Amino acid sequence: MPLVTSETVKQVMRDLYGYEISDADADAIAHSAGAMLTLAGHLPSIGLAGVEPPFGYPVLLAEAARLAKARS
Amino acid sequence: MSIPFQELLEFDVATLSGKLRARDISPVELTEAYLGRIEQTDGSLRAYITVTDTMARKAAKKAEAEIAAGKWRGPFHGVPIALKDLVYTSRVRTTGGSKILADFKPDYDATVWTRLKRAGAVLLGKLNQHEFAYGITSSNPHWGIVRNPYALDRIPGGSSGGSAAAIAARSAAATIGTDTGGSIRIPAALCGCVGLKPTWSRVSRYGVIPLAYTLDHVGPITRTVRDAAMMLQIIAGADRNDSTASRERVPDFSAGVGGQISGMRIGVIRELDYGLSDDVAHSFNAALETLRSLGATVDHVTIPSLPLAGLMNGIITAAEALEIHEEWMRTRPQDYGDDVRRLLEIGMMTPATSYLRAQRARARTLAESIAVLADRDVLVAPASAIVAPKIGTTQMLEAREDRVEVVAAILRFTQPFNTTGQPAIAIPTGLSPDGLPIAMQVIGRPFGESEVIRVAAAYESARGALPAAPEIA
Repeated sequence: MPLVTSETVKQVMRDLYGYEISDADADAIAHSAGAMLTLAGHLPSIGLAGVEPPFGYPVLLAEAARLAKARS
Repeated sequence: MSIPFQELLEFDVATLSGKLRARDISPVELTEAYLGRIEQTDGSLRAYITVTDTMARKAAKKAEAEIAAGKWRGPFHGVPIALKDLVYTSRVRTTGGSKILADFKPDYDATVWTRLKRAGAVLLGKLNQHEFAYGITSSNPHWGIVRNPYALDRIPGGSSGGSAAAIAARSAAATIGTDTGGSIRIPAALCGCVGLKPTWSRVSRYGVIPLAYTLDHVGPITRTVRDAAMMLQIIAGADRNDSTASRERVPDFSAGVGGQISGMRIGVIRELDYGLSDDVAHSFNAALETLRSLGATVDHVTIPSLPLAGLMNGIITAAEALEIHEEWMRTRPQDYGDDVRRLLEIGMMTPATSYLRAQRARARTLAESIAVLADRDVLVAPASAIVAPKIGTTQMLEAREDRVEVVAAILRFTQPFNTTGQPAIAIPTGLSPDGLPIAMQVIGRPFGESEVIRVAAAYESARGALPAAPEIA
């Protein structure tokens, strides 16, 4: 399992979000996040070579057109 | 105009619609009946966050005048509905079930509400939910614990818990929910309602507070499949305010209601047909027999990567939800409920690499599902491994296998079809010996809502009426 420690969790909360959490909460988050990262490491086993993320250029174009129209 | 209030509340939308159009029922009387029912039940249920009684009475009077003048707007004209409180309603409080947005009043309507309002629907109010839709219990720390009308000590499911509880308790004729990992289908399943999650992008998300942009769906929760089809008809379709809303043709979703399913091919998803509680297994197998008795061919299919689709959903939701909530997590973390804050904190530890990998993996599961559907019309699966757990329960003992985490025992059935974006409907298959609802899902090809509705409606018709929830004091 990737090493997500409670110290790492506490530091992220403190430095990036500006608040403190208890040791017990940090432990629980580290455990959950570590498990998720471990499982995420298994995703390539279903065959992801050459698979694109589902963010198409048509959506980008359409969103830009919508924003331009809203601005005018 | 002499139908008793109690009787008015028993009509589904399809029936109400005919009676409203024929002026056998007045929208004003109907709205009063529902407002009275909310007052009678909501102290126990906490299904509503805001009741828009003044607005509802005004809209009902307008509907009555229009119908009397022959200006019928369609099947929802004069029908009292309610919206999950994630849905923007202009100048009406829209909290998302949160403390953070407790006083927020949008200055525009969500597209779904614009369309329903244009169709003449009467808004009864805004419905309670799991905070920001991030959870499945609807035990809301800010607006009250939503309770299951079939057993008040049990959860209604979530996140659209108020939307389903209101249907089961007869305190709305139809409602709108949203679904990122199962939030329409889970509460529908646990409360004995019909919940339809359309294909991703079929319904505009404009003006709906997001949980995860690429997984969020908006859809109806209703008493019958026909009602769900009718409501979807109104809210579906392209929207100039939502560039992701599909321009795919919107068919007549009700066309297949009442049709035969003889000869249709139905695949049972093997990866979801295990670990069921005895009651759920019995009910699901009986439902499969019913489908066979209607002339459908039913066999098992396999979607190998489906067990990982829940993980993909969880990773994507963690990352996207945090992006949405990041500023509030910096400035107001104490204003979140403990469970939702915890999930957002897990999102802080989710690397971009995991997020992108999960997004890429979605195509694999969808490809496998589409391949299976090349020679099947629809797929079916249970909607949950368990019946509604008691409020506060985190583990269940009643599944056949070991102790199961409640969240896992429910979400693993629904999350995969948010990941793939396929349409899926939850439909009751009966009650457990304890009187708690059990449901199955019917899943279709992308934009194949019509087949899903056809099969669900045929099953519903063969199943017969589901016993109503006990009277609520």
